Amino acid sequence: MNLRNIQTVRTIVLVGLAAAGLSLMAGCSNNGTAGKPAAKKTAKPAAIWPLAVQDPAKNETGAQIWSENCLRCHQLRSPSQYTPAQWGVIVQYMRLKAGLTGEQARKVLAFLKSASAH
Amino acid sequence: MRKRITLPILLAAAMAATAVGSVRAADSSNYQQLQKKYSTLKVQMQAMQKQMAQMQKQMKAVQQAAPSINERATRRAIKRLSRQVMKLSEKEAALEPGNIQVLIAGDVNVQFQNKVGSSSTFYADSSPMIQVRVDKKIFINTAFDFYTASGGPGGINSDIGAANINYELGDYMTVGGGLISSPIGGIVSNYNAAPWNRWLVDGSLEDNLLPPNELGIWTRGGIPAPGNLGYLTYFLFVSNGPEFVGTSGVPNQLNYDNYTATQNAKTVGGRISYLPIPNVEVGYSAEWASPTQSGALTKSDSWIQAVDFNSYYFNKKIEGFVKFRGGWTWEQVGQGGITPGNPTTPPALGNMSNGGQIDVAYQPSMCGIKYLDKTMVAFRYDRIDGPTASGSAHEQRYSVGLDYWLHSNAVLKFEYEFDNVANQRGSDAMFMQFAVGI
Repeated sequence: MNLRNIQTVRTIVLVGLAAAGLSLMAGCSNNGTAGKPAAKKTAKPAAIWPLAVQDPAKNETGAQIWSENCLRCHQLRSPSQYTPAQWGVIVQYMRLKAGLTGEQARKVLAFLKSASAH
Repeated sequence: MRKRITLPILLAAAMAATAVGSVRAADSSNYQQLQKKYSTLKVQMQAMQKQMAQMQKQMKAVQQAAPSINERATRRAIKRLSRQVMKLSEKEAALEPGNIQVLIAGDVNVQFQNKVGSSSTFYADSSPMIQVRVDKKIFINTAFDFYTASGGPGGINSDIGAANINYELGDYMTVGGGLISSPIGGIVSNYNAAPWNRWLVDGSLEDNLLPPNELGIWTRGGIPAPGNLGYLTYFLFVSNGPEFVGTSGVPNQLNYDNYTATQNAKTVGGRISYLPIPNVEVGYSAEWASPTQSGALTKSDSWIQAVDFNSYYFNKKIEGFVKFRGGWTWEQVGQGGITPGNPTTPPALGNMSNGGQIDVAYQPSMCGIKYLDKTMVAFRYDRIDGPTASGSAHEQRYSVGLDYWLHSNAVLKFEYEFDNVANQRGSDAMFMQFAVGI
C-alpha cells in the first residue's frame, strides 16, 4: 500500500468517524434526559436516531443487565462484596468502560444496591 | 210465484244483514278497546325502552368514566409522590455526610517467569487506583503503577496509568479529558487491562502494535442501535501524537505513550463497536497521527486499524461458560524525511506491521465438582509480522494456561508459551502468577 492509498483510506475513515460523532452529538443533544425522574423517561421514546428508538434496557431488569454485560469482560463480582455507596462509584466507572447507557447503569446500580443491602 | 219466493228471501236477507251488522258493531267496539289498550301498552313499552336505553347509556358512561377517573386520580397521586420522593432524595443527598464518594481500587500481582535464554526471575507489580464520584455526572479516575525493574539492581519503576475527568452529558454521551487507556484494539483496554482479569499471564504479541494510553480529550458512550437491534458503543478522541524513538539517534520505533506533543503532532482516532446481543461484541478502531522526532525527522504518517471480537456462551449444557476473544491490528508507517542539515542516518520507515490473537477460555463453573468449578483452561494463538523495512521476522506463539479462581477477583495462574520465530523454535517461556483485583 503506497502513501497515496493510505491517505485515501485515512480520509474515508476520518470522515466516517467525524460523521458518526456529529450524528451522535446531534442525537444526544436532543435527548438531554439525565437527572429527570424515571417515570417521565418511560413515557416517550428517546430521539437518538431519525427513527425513534426505545432503549431495550427498559424491558430488562437490573439483574439481567448485570449478569449479561459484566460476564463478557470479567468474572461476576458478588453484590455483597461492596457497600451500596461503593457500588455507586464502581457502576459510574464501569458505565464508561463498558459503554453502558444511563438507563442500563441506573438499573444495574439499583439491583446491586438492593442485593448488597440484604 | 216469483214474488212469493222473493219476499221471504228479501226478508231473510234483511234480517241476516241486520244481525251481521249488529255483530260487526259489537266486534268493532271491542277492537277499538283493544286498540286503545295496545296503543297504551305500546306507548308504555316505548317509554320503558327509552328509559332502558338511557339507563344503558348511563351505565356505559359510568363504566367508562369510573376507570379514567381512577386513573387520573392515580396519576395525580403518583406525580405528587414522585415530586415528594425527588425532594426527599435531594434533601437526603444534600444532608448525607461524605457526599463525594471515594473508592480505592486497583490490583496487585506477583509472578515468576522462566524464559529460554533469559534468567528466571520474580516480579511484582502494584497498581492502586483512586476513583472519585464527585456527583451523579462528574467522575475522576487516577491510577498509578509501581513495579520492580526488570534486570535492574533493585530499582523500582513507577508510572501513571490514568488521570482523567469525565462529565456525563446525558444517557448516551460522556465527555472527558486526561490520560486514559487507549480504545484502539479494544481487547487491551477493555478486557485485558488488569492482570487479575487476564486469562494468561503474558501479554499478546498484538499488544506491541497498540498504543497503551491516550493523553487528550474524548467523547464516549453507548446507544441503542436503530430498530432496537442491540447496542452501539463509541469512543472518539484527539490526543498527543506518537514520537519516533530509536537507538543511536536513528528513529526506528514509535512511542505512543507520549506525554508531550512533539512539534504539535496530534492523533485522531476512535473505536466503534456493535453488540447485537449482550454477550457478543464486534469492534473496529482506527487512529491516524503525524509522528515526528524532535530535531531529527520531518513529519511522517502513522496509521493503525484494528478489528476485535469478544463473546461468551453460558449454558448448563456445557456446565459453565466458554469465552472467545480475538483481534487483528494493521499498523502502517509512511516515509519520513530527514531534517535538512541533520546528519542522522535515514530511518527504517515506510513499512507495515500487523499482528493478532485468538483466545479461548472454558470454565465448568456449574459442574458442581469441588475445585473443578473454579478452574479455567485458556488457550491463545498470537502472532506478529514485524516491520518489513527493518527486516523483522514474523513471530507466532501458542500458549496454554490453567487458572484457579480462589475468588471472583483472586486468581492463581500457570502458563506455558511455545514460541516460534521465522519458522524456527524461539524462546519458550513458563509463567506463574498470583493476581488480586481490589
